Amino acid sequence: MESAEQAPVLELAGVSLCYRLARHRTPSFKEYAIHWMRGALEYQQLWALRDVDLVVRPGETVGIVGRNGAGKSTLLKVLSGVLVPTTGTARRRGILAPILELGTGFDPELTGWENIFLNALLLGRRRREVEERIDEIVEFSGLGEMIHSPIRNYSTGMLARLGFAIATSWVPQVLLLDEVLSVGDTAFRERCHARLDRFRRGGAAILLVSHNAQDIEANCERALWLDAGRVAAQGPAAEVLQRYDESVHPVATTTA
Amino acid sequence: MTRFLQYRDLVQVLVARELKVRYRRTALGFLWTMLQPLLTMAVLHVVFSKVFRFDVQNYAVYALSGILFWNFFSQSIITSMNSLRTHASLVSKLPVPKAVFPVATVIAGVVNLVLALVPLFALLLISGHDISPAVLFLPVSILLAALFALGAGLLLSPLAVFFVDVVEMVGVTMTLLLYLTPVFYPMAILPERYLFLVRLNPIRSVLEVFRDPIYYGKVPPLSHLAVTVAVVAIALVVGIVFFRRSSSRIPFYA
Repeated sequence: MESAEQAPVLELAGVSLCYRLARHRTPSFKEYAIHWMRGALEYQQLWALRDVDLVVRPGETVGIVGRNGAGKSTLLKVLSGVLVPTTGTARRRGILAPILELGTGFDPELTGWENIFLNALLLGRRRREVEERIDEIVEFSGLGEMIHSPIRNYSTGMLARLGFAIATSWVPQVLLLDEVLSVGDTAFRERCHARLDRFRRGGAAILLVSHNAQDIEANCERALWLDAGRVAAQGPAAEVLQRYDESVHPVATTTA
Repeated sequence: MTRFLQYRDLVQVLVARELKVRYRRTALGFLWTMLQPLLTMAVLHVVFSKVFRFDVQNYAVYALSGILFWNFFSQSIITSMNSLRTHASLVSKLPVPKAVFPVATVIAGVVNLVLALVPLFALLLISGHDISPAVLFLPVSILLAALFALGAGLLLSPLAVFFVDVVEMVGVTMTLLLYLTPVFYPMAILPERYLFLVRLNPIRSVLEVFRDPIYYGKVPPLSHLAVTVAVVAIALVVGIVFFRRSSSRIPFYA
């Protein structure tokens, strides 16, 4: 109950997000100008999120489930600040570490060592901070001498290890994980989980996005189920996951 | 703005990478920055002072100063225009201030320009052209040119993300502007009727602020400088305002 009294690190209030895209298939400036002059610009409105409320306090681990296209990644982007809500407000506090798709924020031509700088600076760190931590990052990634080789030679497992090592090298207040815990070998996964536990005990909040209910059940005490951009259910993970599961695999509820 | 400053180390790394990428596949590396304008100048020199016989004193210096300016100007605008397109996937996933990309490309262009000044000064010495203390004004000239290019880059880089044909339209416009700017011809050869076209071209004033200290050995006259500062300020304000208004929509298009 202690956590409930602490100020939230993430707070979404009535967040809706609308992708407004021009209806024309080829987005050309010429056509746009012509349509604009005729006053005939048409937009396709796609509401990726509708009226989402979410409060995350320090030390909580929240899972986000939903089918493909339900708005999970959009929600993460709103949480990280990449997307600005069309209506409603998104507030965050402290260091936020997003761990995203493999290879995001890496340059394949640069070495692992150079990419540590590039990636960490993209996450908002200062060069001095990276210099202080670089040995620890290399150590955790377990890449050894490979760190001086261009990362286009890396396997997906190696890339995932490096990405995780960089993003978690600074204790974040909020960690956003987008379906990344499933990569890497068992030994590395265990080290990841150990590190996440340490963060959680240190008061970090973790958001885990997955379409895999087991992942969420194993890691989260709370869950949010997104369906077509709306919150279908939110609450204790077991309950939410059960309802989600029933919607995915409808079972005959006859009790005969 | 404060968020941008927090990312200044990132800008530094992006500049270094930009320079590295530009030279990675060239055998001569950084030497190429210096050789390419010299070769262009040699060709222009033959064409315009031997074939067309422009009556310009020390045409080589006139042409080379123009070429260096134009190379910087057009490369900065085109690479900064493309900078968000090439980083679109990044920009749509990480909460990084988007302006770092166009800013880094323009800074990389300035580094290139400064390197390319080495052969220019070599040419000044060899050709016996006077080097006036007015060249100390060059940093101001370069800063004005860079801010102008940045303004254009901030305007064009979101447009290039939204519309696929913008890149080609800008390419054609740059060629047109090259002929409307006295880069390799002297103003004096223009027929009276068309002079106004070149006079109205705002890039000409930015170029002259760069060329005056080198070629004419003088600090640009104050009246001219005032016009240039106004032109640069307008470009920068338009660029920043448009960029700020449109940047939240950029992740939708990646």
